[in-house]
Amino acid sequence: MRRPDLRWLAPLVANMVLLQLGALANHHLAPFGLTLFCGGLLVTYAAARLDLRHGLAGTLLTGLLFDALSPVPFGLGTFFLGLAHVLIFQGRQRFPRDEPVFFTVVALLANLFLFLCLSFALVGDNPRPAAAWGRLFVDLIFSQLALALVAAWFFALQNALIEFTGRHPETGRPLPH
Amino acid sequence: MLPRRFDQARPFATLGVLLLVWLLLPFGLKAFTRTTFFELQAPFAAAQSYVQDLQEFWALRVRPKQEIIEAGRDLARLNAAYEVRLQENEQLRAEILRLENLLKLPPLPDHRLEPARVARRDFNGWWQRMVIRKGEKHGITVGAPVVFSGGVVGRISEVHLYTSVVDLVTSPTVRLAAAIDADTRPVSYQGGLNASFSAPRGTVEFVPLDINASPSAPRRLVTSGLGGVFPSGLLIGEITRLEISSDGLFKTGEVRLDDRLHSLTEVTVLVQLNPEDR
Repeated sequence: MRRPDLRWLAPLVANMVLLQLGALANHHLAPFGLTLFCGGLLVTYAAARLDLRHGLAGTLLTGLLFDALSPVPFGLGTFFLGLAHVLIFQGRQRFPRDEPVFFTVVALLANLFLFLCLSFALVGDNPRPAAAWGRLFVDLIFSQLALALVAAWFFALQNALIEFTGRHPETGRPLPH
Repeated sequence: MLPRRFDQARPFATLGVLLLVWLLLPFGLKAFTRTTFFELQAPFAAAQSYVQDLQEFWALRVRPKQEIIEAGRDLARLNAAYEVRLQENEQLRAEILRLENLLKLPPLPDHRLEPARVARRDFNGWWQRMVIRKGEKHGITVGAPVVFSGGVVGRISEVHLYTSVVDLVTSPTVRLAAAIDADTRPVSYQGGLNASFSAPRGTVEFVPLDINASPSAPRRLVTSGLGGVFPSGLLIGEITRLEISSDGLFKTGEVRLDDRLHSLTEVTVLVQLNPEDR
């Protein structure tokens, strides 16, 4: 019997775990006025390792999960994640994508891109946007530091989930047992 | 085979087509998708909250008996004080009802108190909101005011089956009609000044020119009751600074909010009662 190709599910499940852990961390960080944003991690593996169809499906579904919990126009976060996905996908031949170090560097750049996109889209609501950038800058530095620490673990988690599907991440060919 | 140039642009073309399809989707379908994706994740937030409650329960179990006895004694004193207040409250209610009947006034909006545990706090530089463990099943409605012992917490922005989302008074998305204590003229309050490692603050606009405030002599900012959502007299914060606005017609300033807003674990939702339910 032919095994279903569930490669899109691997980043989706991992991202869901990350979103929940991030939300839990933010719940406890709230009294300190700090926020952890890990948007870059949500997109990097799917864009760097999977084929376009499965990777983009995983990323866009993750985007919908993110948007459902956020007071942004539904689809805004999904669009930014999709944009980051295709940008990484386009340039992925130019870096060694199997290396966790490069995965971390790309995740940091993607995180910076997504954070700035969301900030420019949302900071206009603030009564004093200039003052809001101070808080956003602290959040960004904190998020980048935290992301650098957990990126390798998250990369390994997604690799393990892809192995669980029994298929090669890019070609989709069944892996030998 | 596709030309190489198109092959390179294929990811962008795919995203563009998907974006176009998304824009053309009917609003109802998008709203349904949003609710579905929220409800999919809601059990995780609730489960984390229940686990935390359990942790607190076990942490309390190891407290010494002497401490529990002292806490019980303090609670008994508080209860006695509240009993007196309750009787006073009943008398005042009866008086209001008598005057309403006498003057043939329409009844003031009345509220039912619905306490709720905070399941998740989501405070960042873009928005400030929390998820509470009460929803549609408990009669919560969109727009309902949320309060705590220190005053206004915010208002309900989304209601789901077992959970609701509260937009905090610290959020830039929240605007309220307010009044300065002992002054009936309305002013406008907006949240949004949330620096790291410091107390939350908000802004106040359209303050009359004769009103002054400073950090050493702050003025209390309360809800005005205008708009019919928040009852009047609920504390929002304290105005600590006022300066003349750019047009010179009013003053604008900063409001210091309660520090406890960022670490709340329990809040109360004011659910408006229909006149026949009173």
